[in-house]
Amino acid sequence: MLLRRELKIMLRSPAGAIQSLMFAVIVVALFPLAITPDPSQLEPLGVGLIWVVTLLACLLAADKSLVSDYADGSLEQMVLSDYPLWWVCLVKSIAHWVSCGLPLLLMAPMLAAMLAMPSERVVWLMASLILGSPILSLFCTLGAMLTVGLNQSSALLPILIAPFLVPTLILGTQWATTGGEAFYGYMLSALLCLSLVTLPIATAVVAKIAVSR
Amino acid sequence: MLQIESLSCFRQDRHLFKDLNAKVLPGQALQIVGENGSGKTTLFKILAGLFEEYEGRVITSDAAQLLYLGHRYGVNDQLTPIENLKFLLKLNENQLAPDVLEAALTRFQLRAELDQPCASLSEGQKKRVALARLILTSARIWLLDEAFSALDAPGRAVLSEVCQGHLASGGILVFSSHQGIPEFASAAQLRLAAGS
Repeated sequence: MLLRRELKIMLRSPAGAIQSLMFAVIVVALFPLAITPDPSQLEPLGVGLIWVVTLLACLLAADKSLVSDYADGSLEQMVLSDYPLWWVCLVKSIAHWVSCGLPLLLMAPMLAAMLAMPSERVVWLMASLILGSPILSLFCTLGAMLTVGLNQSSALLPILIAPFLVPTLILGTQWATTGGEAFYGYMLSALLCLSLVTLPIATAVVAKIAVSR
Repeated sequence: MLQIESLSCFRQDRHLFKDLNAKVLPGQALQIVGENGSGKTTLFKILAGLFEEYEGRVITSDAAQLLYLGHRYGVNDQLTPIENLKFLLKLNENQLAPDVLEAALTRFQLRAELDQPCASLSEGQKKRVALARLILTSARIWLLDEAFSALDAPGRAVLSEVCQGHLASGGILVFSSHQGIPEFASAAQLRLAAGS
């Protein structure tokens, strides 16, 4: 029910989600023009570039839905609702992933083609994004909740959250560039499980503080 | 029953209010009176359980369910009145049929606007969407912070009618208002002194 509402709101004001997707596409499109169109030089950069672009696009879209929920008072009502607050926060993360992580994941093969990436690497890139992008969404929701009541929150959010996204970035890119070395895969999966269990609870604690301001 | 016992609250090193005492029995209303900035909204948040940094006690009878409507009342601009009302009700209770929702909104004189996103509604109309929830809720304690403001005379009349029905059925009403509400002129008052 909560998720349906989130997605409905998102579909009726898709500008935010489209903005972050366009950002990703434009960066990847401009990169070969600015650096070099030579496939042999682009190829080693591809995985890292797509991961960085995904991370930034997620940060860009992070606080959109929470800011409006905070401003119109829906957040207060959700905190007071019978639903467990961690569940509300998890739904927020899922909605963020559906609006940002999922479209980027689906676009990854196209972005990879623009960077002349060999097809077997694209498979590992997709796999690393499947495990990694939900972690990004969970952290972004936490960050958005932390800054939601503050002025200029969109300036503070990236500084606050970017350091926490670094382990995911490292594990994800390493896993994809090494062609699926088990260690990185296991670590990324472990990180996903850990974030999935702990971050909604942390976000719930922060949400209680946000509405009491 | 709703009882406040020696409730004090500091905010930003300042006594917002000190040693408040009040008791509201089923069927009674309590009006919170105070100037701007005297802590009315904070008091409502404390009663609703949103704000926890206070001294003293707030006691509510266990089964009683709270419904809090603040200055920001939870109406999303992208959703239609029906969708908003359905969501707000479902946060605390069971699903209701669309015609029941429609009837509640119609009582607050929203009819033509039912299928439009709330962004196209006026502030007063959005408030009516949130207030329509009062008709359908099963909550026994209503906390209405400035619910009467931004409403026109007919809207205010419907709201006080709904509130009187709530009291008649043994509900509890706590409200604040800068205008006098003739229907509740006899309600008990809790006065907040500004900045002591």
